[in-house]
Amino acid sequence: MAMSTKPGSDMNDDLALLGLMQLVSPALPIGAFAWSQGLESAFELGWVKDEESLGEWLTGVLDDGLARCELPVLIRLQGAWAAADDETVGYWDDWLHANRETAELAAEDMRLGASLTRLLGSLQLLPEASMMPRDAGYVTVFAWAAHVRGVPVRQTLLGFAWSWLENQLAVACKALPLGHTAAQRLVERLRPALVEAVDMALSLKDEELGPVLPGLALASALHETQYSRLFRS
Amino acid sequence: MTAFESLDATASMDSGHRFDEKRRWAASLALAFEARQESGPLVTRLTRARHQGPLRVQRPFYPEGQADACHVYLLHPPGGLVSGDELSIEATVGNGAHALLTTPAAAKLYKADSHGVAWAQHTRLRVDDGGILEWLPQETLCFDGSRGEQRTTIDLAGSARCLGWEIMALGRPASRLPFASGRVEQRFCLTRNGRPLWLERQPLDPQHPRFQGRWGQGGATVQATLWAVGLEDDQAVAALREALPAAPYWAVTQRHGVLLLRYLGQERNQAWDLCQHAWEVLRPLLTGRQACVPRIWLT
Repeated sequence: MAMSTKPGSDMNDDLALLGLMQLVSPALPIGAFAWSQGLESAFELGWVKDEESLGEWLTGVLDDGLARCELPVLIRLQGAWAAADDETVGYWDDWLHANRETAELAAEDMRLGASLTRLLGSLQLLPEASMMPRDAGYVTVFAWAAHVRGVPVRQTLLGFAWSWLENQLAVACKALPLGHTAAQRLVERLRPALVEAVDMALSLKDEELGPVLPGLALASALHETQYSRLFRS
Repeated sequence: MTAFESLDATASMDSGHRFDEKRRWAASLALAFEARQESGPLVTRLTRARHQGPLRVQRPFYPEGQADACHVYLLHPPGGLVSGDELSIEATVGNGAHALLTTPAAAKLYKADSHGVAWAQHTRLRVDDGGILEWLPQETLCFDGSRGEQRTTIDLAGSARCLGWEIMALGRPASRLPFASGRVEQRFCLTRNGRPLWLERQPLDPQHPRFQGRWGQGGATVQATLWAVGLEDDQAVAALREALPAAPYWAVTQRHGVLLLRYLGQERNQAWDLCQHAWEVLRPLLTGRQACVPRIWLT
């Protein structure tokens, strides 16, 4: 039997993994379920209408969004938190805000960031007040939480991408609607893509970063005037 | 290194006359506008127009009256960019000054040479506290096989106001020559007091899945991005939604104090009309002046 499977062999690794699962759980009370990141608008526009087109949309957003924006910036932010480098934390927090394409995508980032900050505060898990940027975005606070839990960076990225996928599928189950078995088929289809997105995020240089989602940006801005809607973005 | 040597090095780099991978033809233009107290009210004067290579300005003029915006046409006689071209345009608007810049014709981005050498265009707009800049170039036509990067940097200080756009049409639909190869990237960076408020990149690569994918370009061959900073919260967004007929090919939003109107479609005229109409709605809100359509657009 391999060493790592012995009970109690690596208490810190186990606690880090559980900490990550807590952070990416849909039960984490930060209200992530209320936001669709433009997906609800893509339904309304008829751009996403079934399992197949949803799979394409998610693969595209993963490749051109998360892999070039949130995931590589998580690496930089978690590194900056580990080094107690608040200037670099502030730089990437500003960078993320400036890259949010629309009012709703900017609001989602700030609201989730504020909710996660409040939650961590009530668990006595926040850094010194001076370290956390004002109006810190979700990714910035998530990176801090991963850092205090001692989560290895690669797993932080996998966890973040996983919670994004679960949340997007929950949106589709509610609003498309998509069947729960179809959602699991999409998980199967996208699992390797999550790993590829993390690999790509780890390979990108600073000047290569930035989301490339013009269609999603248009959909998200159109969502502001969508007549009937369940989600806040 | 002496100043002489450094000048010499620049000169030999810029002289061109080579057609290999190091092909490089630089042209630059640096403009400065300042408000001057002359006999009557403040007048915006073009106080510097330094150019190198084939980039020029026409004499500034004042179609709205001397106390209003200073209009300037930017001229690039070659009319387009080929491999190795490096265009640098800089405009600085001082406190109390108001400048409107446009171009007399569409700019063209030509197919890359056999070495695939890219062109580059960098526009740097700086507006001081209390200044106003309108950046309204005619559209860019990007031909099949073109390679390069078009970068727009907007640095604002304090209460500076700025409205601008970039409109790009891909391929030559009339000649049935779509943009099927090459790679062009548009980048925007807008800061206020050094802090980034809007960063965006739009790589246009016809071979990439996003070129057809709905999350990306969605098969659009014409795109436009209009920005405006210095407007009251949300009033402008509501005014645009009121004035311009709703359609799935355009949308407007405002985030971090920057209004962004985006178009993704197939028609150059549709994109142009949308941007011009939006500018006509926004200008009174932004500057307290009605839009004064540059006559050169009508020719």
